[in-house]
Amino acid sequence: MRVEGIGSYAKQIFWRTTYGVRRIGALLLLLVSSFQLLALAQPAANTPPPDFPPQVFEIARELRCPVCQGESVAESNSGISLEMRRIIAEQLAQGKSKEEIKAYFVSRYGPWILYEPPRSGLTLWVWLAPLVGVALIGAGLYFYLQSARRRALETGAAEVSEEELRRAEAELDQS
Amino acid sequence: MKRLWPFALLVVLGALLFWGLRRGDPSALPSVLVGKPAPDFTLPTFAPYRAEWGERIQLSRYLGQKPILVNLWASWCVPCRDEAPMLEAAWRQYKDRLLILGVNVQDTNPGAALGFIQEFGLTFPSGIDENGRVWIDYGGYGVPETFLIGKDGKVLYRHAGPLDSATLQELLGKVL
Repeated sequence: MRVEGIGSYAKQIFWRTTYGVRRIGALLLLLVSSFQLLALAQPAANTPPPDFPPQVFEIARELRCPVCQGESVAESNSGISLEMRRIIAEQLAQGKSKEEIKAYFVSRYGPWILYEPPRSGLTLWVWLAPLVGVALIGAGLYFYLQSARRRALETGAAEVSEEELRRAEAELDQS
Repeated sequence: MKRLWPFALLVVLGALLFWGLRRGDPSALPSVLVGKPAPDFTLPTFAPYRAEWGERIQLSRYLGQKPILVNLWASWCVPCRDEAPMLEAAWRQYKDRLLILGVNVQDTNPGAALGFIQEFGLTFPSGIDENGRVWIDYGGYGVPETFLIGKDGKVLYRHAGPLDSATLQELLGKVL
């Protein structure tokens, strides 16, 4: 067998490892690394304006600005967000805890005001659904690739023509 | 049998989509206040109403006597312009059985709000929510919003967005 240096050897290994079931691993790796890229692409959180202590913004970041699209109370400059930050600051000064302050807004707006849905009850599904989806896709891929490989092994061997076999033997004799 | 699997999956997905589409209005965010006592507020009254309603208007003074329709509005809000004449007509018709109370929210220019009142000749009282706290207490996320408070002082219904005359009649029908 002729080996043309490390390049083609690495290539062979690459193709062999990505074949069949092991291909899933590569796909998952790709998926995970693309998520990481997405996370990098997000702009850094805005530095808080100096009107309130940072604890206020810690809580405000977990609340949805009611009049905005996809902005938290910490990021928004709308009048209502400013007022909500003021309420948070006042309640912190009164010694209320983060959970108490969040509950104050939930009692007015419902859980909709929380930027992240609570990880319990019905909204737990929002957190689990992506995992379930990835697991389903992974299982589907696994079974599909396994059956594809089995089919390839069953039919593939029989389908090599006489001429191809002769050519392969001739090449082996040369080396 | 194996061939039927994708088809069955498609049917399930289709049924799910159909159910999602027929779930009713997705923009109708039900207020968590429904069934709870209406949050109280005291607001400075707009100049035209001070003689009759006093310098400050307090909700709890009127709770329990008549049903109350609290309308949150702003002078820059375009759908509020459609609502104002309807609310005024309802007020003139039912003022002995119903209180309509305007709450001016998110208006940075009090002069513009006063102009709005004069433009539509509004005779039901309105107060100014200067810092937006009433709006937050009522879980407001847009204008206009209308809250119907029953005679028992509990919030019966919240309508987010502009009222049309059919909706207004339906709301009034619940309490009159």
